[in-house]
Amino acid sequence: MKRRTFIQSLGVSAAATGLGLSPSAGLAAGGSAPPRYLRPPGALPEEEFESRCIRCGQCGEVCPNHCIQFFGLENDLASYGTPYIIPRDQACILCMKCGDICPTDAIEQVERKMEPILDKVSMGRALVDKNLCLSYQGKTCGVCYRACLLQDVAIRTGLLEQPEVLDGCVGCGLCERSCIQLPQAIRIIPDYT
Amino acid sequence: MNNTVHKPFFAWKHLNKLRWLSLATVFAMLILIPFLHVYQTFIAAHTYDLLSYSEKQIYDTMSAITSPFVSDPEEQLDALKGNTWSGTVGSLKLSDPLAVIGQIVGSRAFYWPFILTALIPVLFTVLLGRFFCGWICPATFLYELNSNLAILLRKSGLRIGNKRFDRRLKYLVLAIGLVVAVATGSVVFAAIYPPAVIGREIYYAIALGGFGSGVVYFLLTLLFDLLVSRRGFCRYLCPGGALYSLLGRFRLLRIKRIVEGCNDCAKCTAVCEFGLDPLHDQFGQECNNCTACISVCPTDAMTFYINPQDIARQGPGHLGRKYKQQKHEQGPDTSVDLTDGK
Repeated sequence: MKRRTFIQSLGVSAAATGLGLSPSAGLAAGGSAPPRYLRPPGALPEEEFESRCIRCGQCGEVCPNHCIQFFGLENDLASYGTPYIIPRDQACILCMKCGDICPTDAIEQVERKMEPILDKVSMGRALVDKNLCLSYQGKTCGVCYRACLLQDVAIRTGLLEQPEVLDGCVGCGLCERSCIQLPQAIRIIPDYT
Repeated sequence: MNNTVHKPFFAWKHLNKLRWLSLATVFAMLILIPFLHVYQTFIAAHTYDLLSYSEKQIYDTMSAITSPFVSDPEEQLDALKGNTWSGTVGSLKLSDPLAVIGQIVGSRAFYWPFILTALIPVLFTVLLGRFFCGWICPATFLYELNSNLAILLRKSGLRIGNKRFDRRLKYLVLAIGLVVAVATGSVVFAAIYPPAVIGREIYYAIALGGFGSGVVYFLLTLLFDLLVSRRGFCRYLCPGGALYSLLGRFRLLRIKRIVEGCNDCAKCTAVCEFGLDPLHDQFGQECNNCTACISVCPTDAMTFYINPQDIARQGPGHLGRKYKQQKHEQGPDTSVDLTDGK
């Protein structure tokens, strides 16, 4: 009997580890939810972008803020070698140099002025989590508003510097980068989702 | 007879050195450009005082290199970006024809501003053939060094593979790549084309803090060349090489053997990195005018000529034993056409 229970328990534990392994194996193969990333400013819609981009990496090479990174195999095969931005690491300062250098216009040329940027750039939109935001918790903060390049167009603050995202937000991520809360109370929801 | 042999222009013999200089320069630029980018980001952030010791060294070195040429490095250094896959020189954008073909097929659209960036490379390829492979490609630089390593290893007694495959295999790779590009809607060549991989990986290593997965792939191709087949990737698998060969099929600049000065030593065939056979006048569309055969020829019997087609087989070299035997058998005074050869 003892031996049988031992073997049974072996089988059970093996099955459990097998079950336990399968989701993590899925993680390793990229089966999990993709990371929340942004495309550079002026990038075409996601699918068109992936077919237009030739993975030359010049957008990253001109980025003065060093915010553009490149996918390896972690996302999926179609996005291998394409540029992305993780705003918490380094956000876009909307210098628009990547669009100028892009040979295929997968990142479109946008003049570095308010009107064209509001018109053509849509990386995503900021979203405030009021449960995390210090200003909504009664501690005046306003850092996201100070960091924004498009103040009062993309974001405005009310009582106690409580931020409110407006329709002008292009999703550059400077607010997310500057948010002093961890996890950050203001985040960019990418456009492709 | 020897007096009538036309010797080639003396400088052709030294072009191979110039070619190595060209390859090394391109490779050095691929290393320099990422460092220039890092330097630009340091300037943009106004952070000299906050840099670490090694970062300061990068800053100082790059500033010393560039200060004679630019007054405003943050902006002006943007004039030199990219790699051989697609690059920017001043206001001129250049792209690899393979990138253009792959992108047309992947996006199923003609985007003319981008297609035109391949115009200059295509024109040069039509005139000079597969010259990119021999003179510019950053992978060639490493592959040729790898070939030299293979020679050293062979001399030290190791068995190095020298298998031969069908050279048409790479056209199949090109075709499959195009089909996969249609299926996935992305430029798959960027992931498997060694010069594109190298350009990207060098940038990753210098500016983004580490090599990506592409470097593993490239090391595998190096091992393939070293252990299985000499220059195997370029000869049998490279989709870019396939495209360049097709574009350069009727190239104007070709290398030919001066049959009157040839002594059948076969050094040209032995030295040819692409496995061609100059001794039997077999150059074909895959010759990249690398001039290795010109520089190795002991009797100066290789030269350039301008013609959209290779010359027909010329038979054994006139200084060789075989030619003299044939001539002896046929008698000294018969004017039989010997150019047919064997």
